[in-house]
Amino acid sequence: MLSEKQFSKFERTVGGLKFAVVLILIFSAMMIVGTFFESWYGTDFANRVVYKKFPFMAVQALMFFSIIFAAFLRLPPKKRLYGFYTIHAGLVIIGCGSLITYIAGVDGNIMLHPNEPAREIILPDDELRITYPNEGRQFSRDLPYTAFKTSLDEKFEDLTFADFYPYSENKVIWKKSSSSFESWQSVQSSEYMISNPNVSQDFIMSLHPEATDYKSSTQMGPLAVHYLPASMSECFGNADKTGIVFWESRSKYCKTPTDYGSEIKTTKAGNRFLVIRENERLLTFFPDLSPWPLDSSLTPVQDTTLRIFNRKLFEKSPNLFLFGKKAAYFTEDKWTAVELGKDPVELPWMGFELTLLRHEDEKFPSQEPFYVTPIQSKGSLIKGNQKALKVKVRDKEYWVTDDKPISLLIDGKKVNIGITKKVLTLPFEFVLKNFKMDKDPGTNNPASYESFVTLFTSSGPSSHHIYMNNPLKYSGFTFYQASYTPNKDGSYSSTLSANVDQGRPIKYFGSLLLVLGSIWHYVITRKRKKSEATASMTNKKEALA
Amino acid sequence: MKMMLTLFALIFTFQSHALSLDFCNDKLGGLPIQQGGRIKPLYVHANETVKYMTGKSKVDGHSAIEAYCLLSFDSMGVENKVEWIASIQHYDLRKFLELGDKKETTFENLLKNKTELITEWRKQKEETSYKKALDQALRRLQLYEEIKNGANWKLYDKSGPAEAWLVLPEFLKEDKVLKAKENTSNPFEAVLFQSEKDYIADHGSKFKLELTFAKLRLPVWALFLSLLGLAGLVLTKGNAVPLGFAFTTVAVQTTYITMRVMISGRAPITNMYETVLFSGYAALLLALIVGHFKKDRQFIYVGLAYNFLSIMMINFSGGMLSGSISPLVPVLRDNFWLSTHVTAIIISYGALALSWILANTALIKAKTKGISKQEMIEYTDQIYTCLKYGIVLLAGGIILGGVWADYSWGRFWGWDPKETWSLIVLCLYMAILHGKYTSWISPARFIPLNALAFLSVMMAWFGVNYILASGLHSYGFSEGGAIFLGSFFLIQFIILGITTKSFLDQFDIKRSSDQIQENPA
Repeated sequence: MLSEKQFSKFERTVGGLKFAVVLILIFSAMMIVGTFFESWYGTDFANRVVYKKFPFMAVQALMFFSIIFAAFLRLPPKKRLYGFYTIHAGLVIIGCGSLITYIAGVDGNIMLHPNEPAREIILPDDELRITYPNEGRQFSRDLPYTAFKTSLDEKFEDLTFADFYPYSENKVIWKKSSSSFESWQSVQSSEYMISNPNVSQDFIMSLHPEATDYKSSTQMGPLAVHYLPASMSECFGNADKTGIVFWESRSKYCKTPTDYGSEIKTTKAGNRFLVIRENERLLTFFPDLSPWPLDSSLTPVQDTTLRIFNRKLFEKSPNLFLFGKKAAYFTEDKWTAVELGKDPVELPWMGFELTLLRHEDEKFPSQEPFYVTPIQSKGSLIKGNQKALKVKVRDKEYWVTDDKPISLLIDGKKVNIGITKKVLTLPFEFVLKNFKMDKDPGTNNPASYESFVTLFTSSGPSSHHIYMNNPLKYSGFTFYQASYTPNKDGSYSSTLSANVDQGRPIKYFGSLLLVLGSIWHYVITRKRKKSEATASMTNKKEALA
Repeated sequence: MKMMLTLFALIFTFQSHALSLDFCNDKLGGLPIQQGGRIKPLYVHANETVKYMTGKSKVDGHSAIEAYCLLSFDSMGVENKVEWIASIQHYDLRKFLELGDKKETTFENLLKNKTELITEWRKQKEETSYKKALDQALRRLQLYEEIKNGANWKLYDKSGPAEAWLVLPEFLKEDKVLKAKENTSNPFEAVLFQSEKDYIADHGSKFKLELTFAKLRLPVWALFLSLLGLAGLVLTKGNAVPLGFAFTTVAVQTTYITMRVMISGRAPITNMYETVLFSGYAALLLALIVGHFKKDRQFIYVGLAYNFLSIMMINFSGGMLSGSISPLVPVLRDNFWLSTHVTAIIISYGALALSWILANTALIKAKTKGISKQEMIEYTDQIYTCLKYGIVLLAGGIILGGVWADYSWGRFWGWDPKETWSLIVLCLYMAILHGKYTSWISPARFIPLNALAFLSVMMAWFGVNYILASGLHSYGFSEGGAIFLGSFFLIQFIILGITTKSFLDQFDIKRSSDQIQENPA
């Protein structure tokens, strides 16, 4: 325990002016760093490194005690210090109010889609959610509040949580297949660059079953791009009047109907069809509609290696066929096949050129998160806008990100793992009845946005109108019109910020004391200066008041 | 369009004297147009546009209205030979455009190179000054094209079933012009004037206040008057002349600000231009009031000096502070707390600026002419007086800002850069004020520290918008500010570097321990 003398010394130090000056300077320096971090790396990063970290909180706590001790030191009350006491009391009360808000306050968002009930407030904190859907079990765990990569090294049932990246970007990794494939199976993947003087885009396409991040077809504006097995490149060379091509994936051949010895028939409705005997079954192909056949009961058949399609279907609009190291397209009444390589190959559309950057017959591309320092530009993150967690299950590793939850089967048990925002469920429900947006005349700039909502509570429904600077207060919550999102159907969804602040009246009262105290302090000083001046007091004492 | 060309051909063929295109003249200045979400006179828009595009007030010898109107009529097939010149300052861009030593080119030349410019812009992956220069050139070019297509402004039209605002090619319908041609030899002018008449008949002529406002050029007058006031301080011994000019400056600025409020319909503190203007004005008023009660001539000087600097800024800062009146983002509208909070903060910045001018004056005067210890103590007292107002208003303003944020967003404090920097300013000044009671900050050290502390105000005021430019307050972002702020910091450091040592050598006598009283009690 401190002796009285020690306590007195402690009180004099903590309540002293020099201590206060040092604290204020440290506090200011931290804030300056915080604002620059905010500007460069984003609000969340600044919060995780400065504003919501222990050192900053500790400085604030020390300031809090310094303010209290400074007042204690100047007791018993003196009339000329009334302003000073009021200022310090105001600051202490603001501090208490802020602490209450920090501990118990809620600050989140609620998204209202037109005519859909909503009762969930999305909070800013992230959590890891593990769900066993078949067993109806759900668990959640807080993620570390850090700005840097960290290892959780924590076990949960069959799962081990390893590295956590609060800011990450995906990079392409070319991986070896975990299972083997037969030689006839096409599991190739390729990376291309398509460019013209104005734009340039890299893209990867894959036929590998493990390349879940990549597709085998894509649309680039009006151009449809199809990624097909290498052996299919043959199918775009030989000409045939019918346009119909047979492709057998196992033996990798392409044939015309004549080569195949098959007859094209026409239905009463005018659709062309072919009937092929495969082992014991009869397959009916409608090549103008689909490359897959129907069986005798007219259900689509997927387990055949034969495809029949009409090449002419791809002659009407821009289609680019990629077969790994080869490509084919239709232009000026003929099909052109080209070899792709490091040198760009000209395409017949808008001056585009195509370059093959990488081709793999067995390895497959996979998106893997890497930690990055986030970068903010014009108010939003342009880099590092993804949180990622590595989950290990026995000898396998998986990445869970906030955009992409994973679903695993462990010993027949299904488990979903995802990084989500924490949610607070309201005891009442919102429905957005109407959203109104006014624009500045002759422009597309919103002048105001307003939500008309119905609130369903235990005491029945009620209608409310929420707009900028006119929030809805209900049951301790305050809902503000914050933002909006246009929907595809032309309607708008509205975002309200939802807020509970128990410290509000305390902070307001403290603020009032602070301002009144400051004025009072200067009035007293002024009066004293005047009386001292008449009594011809020295300037030095005035300055010390 | 084809129809219009035929129409022009017809009119011009049969009335060769009308070829003078004299409908594009300064008489159109009062024409109400809809542009940028507001109704304003053509004079205002044409002048602002020409200034933005060319950095000058005239184009190829033509007034802004003539040039703007002629370029707009290009969309109607009316040829003109007015050359719009774009200033190209960036070395790499000049090289790219093969301009040689010339620092300018015509917009027509830029238009010819538009595709190449866009390609070059796309090629720049990093945010360099070159990319910014390309971006600027392209934005101006886009505006040029928009004007050339007649799509930059809308005119009031009552010929249809309902009133409408139409772009020039839609507005100048064949039947309308032909009808006007029956009565006048200048049908285009008649049609344009009819639009003005129709608008005034339906909505009144309140918009014309902006025409008067723009033509009066009150900031130039205020600048001139402040300068005369400062000259009066130097050249005359009494207070009558400088006070006379100071009051006239206040009157001129009051008129200017009042008119601005009437036109925009909101408090005059919603963008950088207005805050600079208002802080100079409020600081001058504050200085005059304080000076009156303190019976101190120094306050007339400091008020006029700061006001002069602030009006200099709004007159000559170019693109950094835009005087254009434009609609506000929704969160800034109809908000009592916003108005009071910004007003309090801006007046506080004004008061702190007064202390900054006093501090620098003391430092420079001590270095050049020399000052006595008594004068130094007087300076300290004057600075302290300004600080008191500045700090109380700043603390109040920050709290009102919290109330506003709470009222508009539901949170009192969010570590947003603008609010954090205003708190940094308050903290740094509080550190100085608290330090003043310790042995650390003697009256002599107080002066250079105050000159230095004002840099935090500049950072909070301009730095957040021009350097940090993030967070909820980024709506004040514009260009060129970073250079201004950098120069400001540099000049202040140079002044401090030259003056501080000799100042402290002269006045900062180490006080003995018995003089130190940490405890104001």
